[in-house]
Amino acid sequence: MRLGAFALIVFAAVVLDATLAPELEIMGARPDLLVLVVVYGSLVMGTRVATIAGFLAGLVVDAELPEYMGVNALALAAIAYVGGGIWDHLVRANVLVQCAVLFAASVGHDAIYYMVYYRNHLDMFSRFMVRYGLIGGVYTALLGLVVFMLARARGWRAIAGGPYA
Amino acid sequence: MLSQLTRLIRGNRELSTFLTCAVLSFALMALPGRVKDASGGAISGVVLGPFKRLTAAATELGHIRQENVALRRLAVELMDERAALVECGHENERLRELLSVLVTFSEQERFEMLPARVVGMPGGRVVERMEIDKGSEDGVRSGMPVVVPDGLVGKITRARPARSHVEPLASAAFAVSVVVERSRVRGIVRPRYQRTSQQVTWEMDYVPARSDISEGDRVVTSGLGGVFPAGLSVGRVESVTDGPLTMYVRIAPAVDFSTIEQVFVLTGTTTEPRERTELEQRLLNEMARERTGESEN
Repeated sequence: MRLGAFALIVFAAVVLDATLAPELEIMGARPDLLVLVVVYGSLVMGTRVATIAGFLAGLVVDAELPEYMGVNALALAAIAYVGGGIWDHLVRANVLVQCAVLFAASVGHDAIYYMVYYRNHLDMFSRFMVRYGLIGGVYTALLGLVVFMLARARGWRAIAGGPYA
Repeated sequence: MLSQLTRLIRGNRELSTFLTCAVLSFALMALPGRVKDASGGAISGVVLGPFKRLTAAATELGHIRQENVALRRLAVELMDERAALVECGHENERLRELLSVLVTFSEQERFEMLPARVVGMPGGRVVERMEIDKGSEDGVRSGMPVVVPDGLVGKITRARPARSHVEPLASAAFAVSVVVERSRVRGIVRPRYQRTSQQVTWEMDYVPARSDISEGDRVVTSGLGGVFPAGLSVGRVESVTDGPLTMYVRIAPAVDFSTIEQVFVLTGTTTEPRERTELEQRLLNEMARERTGESEN
């Protein structure tokens, strides 16, 4: 995938996250579109590009709540970096593995964000993690399943593997 | 130690990129609040502003559509309600008219009057028969006169248990003995069916030539024959043509048969005046107040 196309996907994810994600809420939890893009970005584009993309996307998201400027940027960059490192040790083209990585990344992202947000109220942190973080993680992992099926249908070898790998 | 760390970072491009991002993130976190606000507002406005406005407009459009559908539904309901209210208003007006006649007429003549609703009016241009929703179970008998506030409608020809047939003044077989109210000239009013114009006209027969009748004279029932009580309005003289032996008098009926909805059947006479109901008394008071107000204005 070309860098321009990936940049467009990241930008679209940022816009969708800010505009349409509230419409996709289930039980108060939203899908973490940026985590999805960053994790798959680290798989397809490599760790460096995904880390920079995560940082920039997080920066735009942080602009919505300037008081916590830098938190999302740090969280998404960290997820991209850790995700990029993890892929080398996993069977990439496996849907369960991808879903598990997405779940962990989403929960990790929420954990970093809520930890900063509720740094003085740890009881709220745990409550929000259980209430929204875990459901959001499942939601994002299910979206990963959709991405995997799409990749398989379209023959995107970097994600679906199989005969294309 | 530091040189080893530096070498590690330089040798690992991924790590160095992440560390740069992390340092920048912490630097952003450490920025003063107003700088964060200003930069955050600028980034958000430039990058996300147009899309947010677009989404807001789309959402608002959706809401407006929903509201539009709801308002349309409401408008239809209100139109229905309005139509019902208008209909009620008209009915109320008719009933008030009927009531005023019912009260005054029965006080003067002491007739027992049974209100009835017209439920059938078969026929085309000529109203040959009407059906009302009162029958023998309500005390209706064949031959009883049927009236409306404007005057005579006809008479009962057949009384079934719950419904009755009325032969109206427009029926070809109908004839009523009348008198010109002003000059007391007598005659018989009958309908005439004009084949050419396919219309019904009413003529007053057996009027001697050079009788004192003028256009506009009111014609009422004479009371002769015993079917109709005297004084019921039948119509007005429309035209008078003098002949060698009799006069040709055309009558315009007092009642518009095509618009009749409610009638009264004169079921008999009473010796005692009927007591007014509370509703009648209230309505009469209201009408009296309205008349007073009109005359004052």
